[in-house]
Amino acid sequence: MIEKFPYGRAPFWLLIVAAVSSIVRPIVARSGSSRPDLLYVTFSHLHQETYEKVVGEFERRHDIHVQFQYSDWHVLQSRLENAMLAGADVPDMVEVFEGSLGFFTRGPAADIGLLDLTDKIRSTGLDRRLVQSRFASWSTGGRVYAFPHDVHPTMLAYRRDLVERLGIDVKSLDTWDKFVEAGRRITRDENGDGIIDHYMLDLPGDGQWGLETLMLQRGSQLFDAQGRVAFDTDVTAATIRWYIEQTRGPAKIAYDAGMDQPLLKVMTDGLVLFYITPDWRSGFFEHELPGLKGKMALMPLPAWEPGGRRTSVWGGTGLVISRRTKHPDLAWDLAQFLYYNPKEGGERFVGTKIVPVDRDEWGLPELDAPDPYYSNQPIGRLYADLAPRTPPHYVTALTVVAQRKLNEAYSRSLQHYERFGEEGLDRAIREELARAAEYVRIREERNEALAQVQ
Amino acid sequence: MQPASSSAQVPESLHPSGSSAAGPQGAAGRTKARAAMPPVDRGWAPYLFLAPYVVLTAAFFLMPFFNAIALAFYETNGPRTRVFVGLANFRFLFADPMFYRALENTTIFALASVFLQLPLSLGLAVLLNSSETRFKSFFRLILFSPNLVGQIFVGILFSVLFTPRYGLINRSLQGLFHWGLEERWLTNPALVMPALVLTSLWVWVGFNMVYFLAALQSVDKTLEEAARIDGAGAWSVFWHVTLPSMRHVVVFVVITCIIGSYQLFELPLALLNTTDGFGPDNSGLTLITYLYEMAFRSGDLGLGAAIGWVVTLIIFTISMVQIRASRILED
Repeated sequence: MIEKFPYGRAPFWLLIVAAVSSIVRPIVARSGSSRPDLLYVTFSHLHQETYEKVVGEFERRHDIHVQFQYSDWHVLQSRLENAMLAGADVPDMVEVFEGSLGFFTRGPAADIGLLDLTDKIRSTGLDRRLVQSRFASWSTGGRVYAFPHDVHPTMLAYRRDLVERLGIDVKSLDTWDKFVEAGRRITRDENGDGIIDHYMLDLPGDGQWGLETLMLQRGSQLFDAQGRVAFDTDVTAATIRWYIEQTRGPAKIAYDAGMDQPLLKVMTDGLVLFYITPDWRSGFFEHELPGLKGKMALMPLPAWEPGGRRTSVWGGTGLVISRRTKHPDLAWDLAQFLYYNPKEGGERFVGTKIVPVDRDEWGLPELDAPDPYYSNQPIGRLYADLAPRTPPHYVTALTVVAQRKLNEAYSRSLQHYERFGEEGLDRAIREELARAAEYVRIREERNEALAQVQ
Repeated sequence: MQPASSSAQVPESLHPSGSSAAGPQGAAGRTKARAAMPPVDRGWAPYLFLAPYVVLTAAFFLMPFFNAIALAFYETNGPRTRVFVGLANFRFLFADPMFYRALENTTIFALASVFLQLPLSLGLAVLLNSSETRFKSFFRLILFSPNLVGQIFVGILFSVLFTPRYGLINRSLQGLFHWGLEERWLTNPALVMPALVLTSLWVWVGFNMVYFLAALQSVDKTLEEAARIDGAGAWSVFWHVTLPSMRHVVVFVVITCIIGSYQLFELPLALLNTTDGFGPDNSGLTLITYLYEMAFRSGDLGLGAAIGWVVTLIIFTISMVQIRASRILED
């Protein structure tokens, strides 16, 4: 047969392979397409494990199959974005990071691929049960598009053993001024090799999460409740100046410990004593650095002024439901079961160390359990006590752009400081902030033509 | 109209049995087999074989290509809403300081690639081509192997190597020069580009070396020998005989190197991952990162398409200038 094929052997086999694969592929695809009733994607192994432990009861109750999938958050974010742009198949439920909602809720409401949860949240009283400030991160135009998973109040985790050895009384560190004063005493070269042996605080050298977390604590943020650019203020300028002094000044107390492996090394070595730590990070430390068990402890953030707010917020997860899901009511029920279910809340906290956003769960005994890692402090209670004071974090489609421009303003102010010192620093910071905010406003105005059409 | 049916009308090179390398017996056998075949309309054969490629190209290249041209003149907001805005995207682009920063960074990287990376590649190729060098295959493998690692892995690897106080590079610098232990390569705007260039050297020097090595091995040895007999020194032989003999490869490598530099994306994305590849004060921002940010992070697909066209024009212009310059030099 091959000999009779007029175009030779190679084309013959290519044709066979093409024909066979064209037939087999659809058959295989059809047989393997047993999609679960609900497909739920998360970026956290810890979340996945915790949910899989408890979902059996939900499946039996509703006689359905729920499948959890893990995806790295970078990949998840870009795949979901691209799938929505292309109109391709998307999971029924997806956990997304704070700040990312703006991308999915661009454009007219009819184009938004997520289920609008507002009315049902109000009618079921969920808005009163959950920490109110957390809806800010998951709303656009007054409509809520995601269930808040957490509150993420922020504390300072510290190497208790070293702090005590260095004679620091953490109870006295109730303002940042006192914290800096104590930091200047211990940030020094102890063994005379010309290299500083201890720093007081971990702050990223390029601003990043550190600057915004401190700004939020101080009552300033990128956008206001109406979604207008709001970071070119005196408070932001003062925070940038403080940040520069602590990270670069002659009496600096902060060190950039980085993330992941470098951070863990710095912690193990005790190079830095205090770390800004939301609840999720307390669990990360416990999981990644078991050797520090009993050597760590937590304290509230020092306030910017006496009696001021002792916490901030860093990060957040929200659960969105695709508008194309075939089972919106089941998806709603599953979200309630996994997120706001006091029966499972205790186990969820033990697994993740994340304080529930549902106030009804704050009475769970697990939150009061002493944690041996943090010197037997009841860390659930410590975080829960701070949760009502977490500031709202407003998010728009341009949040990522605004974060970049804020960091750019910080970076340029820092360069000014390194070239000219204190001279003209305040003016330079204000100019850079004004320039950065103006850029974000220009980006906002780019949508004017579309707004007119809509 | 009756299509031609004789195989004699199809050029010999298109025949599966048309190779002149086939021996007389093989050719005779195939002629016999062909005589036994039913008459086939061979005029359609090339089109049939080309069809899959043409269909795929039309679907995945031509359609997006023309769509991207149109898209550059629209403002998009969300996945399905678009409004015709004429040249507004291009006006925004040319007024955006971030675009110029991206262009500046990318150009600096491209220049560093040409003036640092390629001379190093050439130098290593010359060393490996020397008759006195031993373990050539081993060194070739070692120098080429970084290219086998994905750029994302390279970025992650070097982000650890550049860690202040603990990173291998910082500790080595401290050990050698008593400097650099606390240098913040990835958060100091002045050091981000050197970090990117250093990392890219590790990846690409060995890769380009292979091209140069192949070119060196094809240089006519009798010309070099003749030059030596005429009294030319080693440098003179290299500069006046060897290098001109491999000029086509050099031009090719320079052009691909510049095109690759202007498409730089993954390396800064992984190395500067905390800032999504931007770096402090946009010091690591490249044109493609800028495009990615506008199109896919901000959802402004029209602006992204406009940036794509501008980048294409930049690369096309630079390549044309280089080709023209190399021809002038050749003449």
